[in-house]
Parts: sequence; structure tokens; C-alpha cells
Amino acid sequence: MMCAVSFQASGQTSELTLQEVLEKYNDVSPFVIIKSDITRRSFVYTDRALQALDKDKHQYQQRVLIGSNGDEHAAVPVSLLLRDGTSIIAMPSPGARNPYVVDRIDGKLYITDQGRVVEEVEYWYKPHYYDQFTSSGKPMWQVASARPQRLDIDPNSHCHFWSGGNGCKFCNINANSTRSHKERNMEKQLKAQDVYETVKEALKQPGAFTNLKMSSGSILSGQEIFDDEVDMYIEMLQAAGDNFKERKFPSTLVASAFNERQLAKIYENTGLMTYTSDIEIPNEALFAWICKGKHKEVGYREWKRRIIAAVDIFGAGNVSSGIVGGCEMAKPHGIKDEDEALKIVLEEAEDFASQGVSMVHCVWVPMQGSAFHNQVTPSLEYYVQLAKGLSGIRQKYRLNIDMDNYRKCGNHPDTDLDRGIGGATFQCH
Amino acid sequence: MPLISGRIQTLLQDPQATKVLATADKLGSPHIILDSTITSNEQGQIIYLELIETSQTNVNLVNSIWFKRKVAIQLSGTGEVYLIKGYPVYSIISGPLFEHYYKLCAARNPEFDLSTVWVIEPDEVSEDTYEARKSKERAEHPLVMHLDRLAK
Repeated sequence: MMCAVSFQASGQTSELTLQEVLEKYNDVSPFVIIKSDITRRSFVYTDRALQALDKDKHQYQQRVLIGSNGDEHAAVPVSLLLRDGTSIIAMPSPGARNPYVVDRIDGKLYITDQGRVVEEVEYWYKPHYYDQFTSSGKPMWQVASARPQRLDIDPNSHCHFWSGGNGCKFCNINANSTRSHKERNMEKQLKAQDVYETVKEALKQPGAFTNLKMSSGSILSGQEIFDDEVDMYIEMLQAAGDNFKERKFPSTLVASAFNERQLAKIYENTGLMTYTSDIEIPNEALFAWICKGKHKEVGYREWKRRIIAAVDIFGAGNVSSGIVGGCEMAKPHGIKDEDEALKIVLEEAEDFASQGVSMVHCVWVPMQGSAFHNQVTPSLEYYVQLAKGLSGIRQKYRLNIDMDNYRKCGNHPDTDLDRGIGGATFQCH
Repeated sequence: MPLISGRIQTLLQDPQATKVLATADKLGSPHIILDSTITSNEQGQIIYLELIETSQTNVNLVNSIWFKRKVAIQLSGTGEVYLIKGYPVYSIISGPLFEHYYKLCAARNPEFDLSTVWVIEPDEVSEDTYEARKSKERAEHPLVMHLDRLAK
């Protein structure tokens, strides 16, 4: 199927509008399409919508690795939720060229486009533990952030790959953590006792969370590369795990590509149940350009091999790999044609799936503080086809994506789609 | 005037009433469940509490909210039956309302782990007893009957 752009008589390309994409892909969840486009185009709030933010009820600041931790002086909702429970992991972008507008109309919040109502939205609620403090005086929201059903703990928000300009070009992790440290005294590293106390408090709220996720910037030091990162996760996962009555608990680690010895060490010494290491750009040449540090220190093929090797430890369906969907088209070295880019990405995703690893995508946002902040993302249609393609590959290989589904993470339009086909009914190999 | 009021509202609040929810999957294959806990809220919307995340009903309701497909609820008490058709309009998985129903489920049975609060907006309501259906048939299709019914 031809995708994305049509050529006008003038020779200029014209993308399909949201409405045109909704009509063309009427077998795809409209919520997933809307979410993808809101993430891609970003959004702004009207004053009326901002007045609906209740600082006692809603989240307006959050510790995140990538993006922004918010500004306590200008309270803005952390993010949005759609009527079907679909999360939108996005925030207003000052440089957005054609953003959606969140407005308040007749007492309800809506995402609008050029004055037209697109869908009803809701602000993310603030969990009960958020305004409490650990015994060391740390605000608990700075220890664990919360998505609508997930507890996020990111123990180290500094990435060593950035040394010497080797950070991934789509990422703003160090820029974000440095700014937050400077302006708000947010520490880049967490302490295990703070993690233990925050998780303990979070679990007191009935029905609030279905998963605990940990992630961090890469730590290259140790006897072997990543050894110190592995030890940090073990310490933190053990601290969190002390709050559970069973040894293993629904949990995900999004981390560097550890070797088999390191993976086994984490699995055997913690309650961790699932593992993700993001391949980011599923193409060796582009990985070498965009993820320069990762390619230099580990290499694309070895990074991929390690992810697949994790299936032997965690089991099929319990290992996934994320990509920054659309970043494969970044200029100047990215793939220029959307159909060609889609083909390359889906072929690599199928190779992963055939070996027990789900590939999931987020929508690339050219963020402030990243090397790619001035780039332009592919068309909405590209993202719809990418989500359909990745979900279809999982169906073909009967891969369960419970570990990274609409509720566990919410940042993957493709796993949102699995919800509509009974994703969890697929049997693991 | 809300579609759900009076006797129907009372039946929806009655845990002894029989309540059946019918849904269909993406390909139209039907599925039904019997769930006496189906109720309604103050806005006259129907509330269904899904306890199993990956149940066929939950998957079907997801497709219904995505593609604006109706579901049906049959409600019956002593000598009365109603058929309600409507659209799922909210799938609530977090926030204060979810927490309210999560606690309610846990109070019913500590084993219950609520997945989703479904809000269904009624679109059609009809009486569904045999007498009501037959009366409608006679009024709208007077030619459709066996003649021996009219014999002296």
C-alpha cells in the first residue's frame, strides 16, 4: 500500500489530514490515530483549560528521563488521557508548528484542531503519595513518577553515552536532568531507601498501579561495560521489591543491552519479570549515526544479539525492544521515502519477532535539548501503518505484549492496537 | 428526559434482577455474559465492571468504543423484561472514579481485581416481555399470523 504523501500538480507534497487518515484507516482505532497525531504535532492549552487544572488532584510536575520535568512556577498538566483509557505521553512543545489545542467547553476538556472538537480528554490524576516526603526529606514525586497505571522509577537520569558528544541524537536526557538539577535541585541519582519508602506508600492506594518500571541513563563503568548499571538496578529493584509479598512482581526494566551474565544476575537477584532494551533505530547504518555512542561501545549487531539472548532468561513475550518511530527518516542521512522506511523497519521487527522479541514504537518528538530538535517527523499515515505493521507482526508470531501494553506503558500506538484483538490471548512460544 | 428512569432505573439498582450483556467482536461474532452487578449512574448511563482484562467481553467493548458499535443489555425482574441498546462511551482504568469502583469490587469479594469501569450510554430502550413484543407485532404487522388464531 502506498503511504503518506500525495503529490500535487505544483510538485509539492501534501499530507493527509487527520480526518482523511481516520477515513482511510477506518479499521484502526481512531483513538490510536488521534493519539499518534497529538504526540507528533504536540498541543497547547487555552487559559480556560489551564484553569481546569486542580493542583490537588492532577499531576503538573513529574520526574521523567526524557522530555521535561515541568515547571513548578507555571503549572501545566503532565499529560492527557482519552475516553477509551488510551494514554497520551506528550507535553506542550514551545516550537510546535501546528499544535492541537486543549480547550474547556461546557465544563469538559477537549482536544481541538482549528477550532473543531476532535475528542474529549482528561488530565492525569495525581497519586496519593505524590505530595509526601521520604524520611530523608525527598519529595516522593521526585522518586517515583506515575503514569495512569504505572509506577516509574528512574534511579539515574544521567547518560554516560553523552560524554564526548556520543548521546543518541533524538534524546534530551542529560539536558533535562541538568536543567532540573540546576533550577529545582532535583538529584540525578536516587537512593535505595527513598525508593523503598516511596513504593511502600504508593502501594497503599487501591488499584492505582499495574506495573513498576525502572529505567535510567546508561552507565558504562565497571569491570565490564554496564556492570555498575546492573548493580545499581539490583540495589534499586531489591529496595522496591521489599514491599511485595511475592518474590517476583509485575515489573519492567528499560535498560542498556546487558550480556547474558548481567541479565541472569538481575533476574536471579530481583523480582524483575520483564526486560526491554531499545534498539532505537532498527537499521545498522542509521544506528551508527544516530546512536553513535551505543554503536561505538557495543555495536548494533551485538546490541540486538543481547536483546534476543534475553528471551532465554525472561521468556518469549517478556522481552521487547523499543524504537523511536520515524527517527529513521531524520535528515540528512535518514531514509527519504516513507514506504522504503516502513519496509526496512518492519523487516527488522519481523526478524526480532521471529526470535521472541516484540518491537514496539513511540512517536518521535524532536525535543528541545536533543540534537534533532529542529527535525520534522514523518506523516501521520506513516505512524498508522507503522502501528498496524508492528501489531500485525506480533499476531503473526503469536507474541503476547502484556508487559508493554496500553495500560503498562501507554507510549506505544502499536501495543494500544493489540488491546482490540485480545492481545493477551496469544500464546507464548 | 433520560432513557433510563423509573422502573428500569430501579431494576438496574436491584442486585436480584437478571442482567445480560451482549457484545460482538471485530468480525461480528456474538458473546453474552450474565452479570447481576450491572448498574447505572446518576446520569442514567449503565455501569459495567469488568474484572478480567483479557475477557472476550472486554475485547468486544474495546472494539465497540473504537468503532461506535452498539451493545445490548437485557434486564429482567419478576414479570418484566427490558432491552437496552447503547454505546460504550468511557473505558475508565484510573483516577478517582476507578478507585471508587475498585474498592466496591474488593468489598464484594477481596479476590476481585477490577480491570475496567465501562460506561454505556443508552440509545434505545424497549419493553421486552413476550406480551409487549407480540402486541407490537400485531400493531405493526397485522397480516402476519396463523388464521386458526382468528377462527370462531
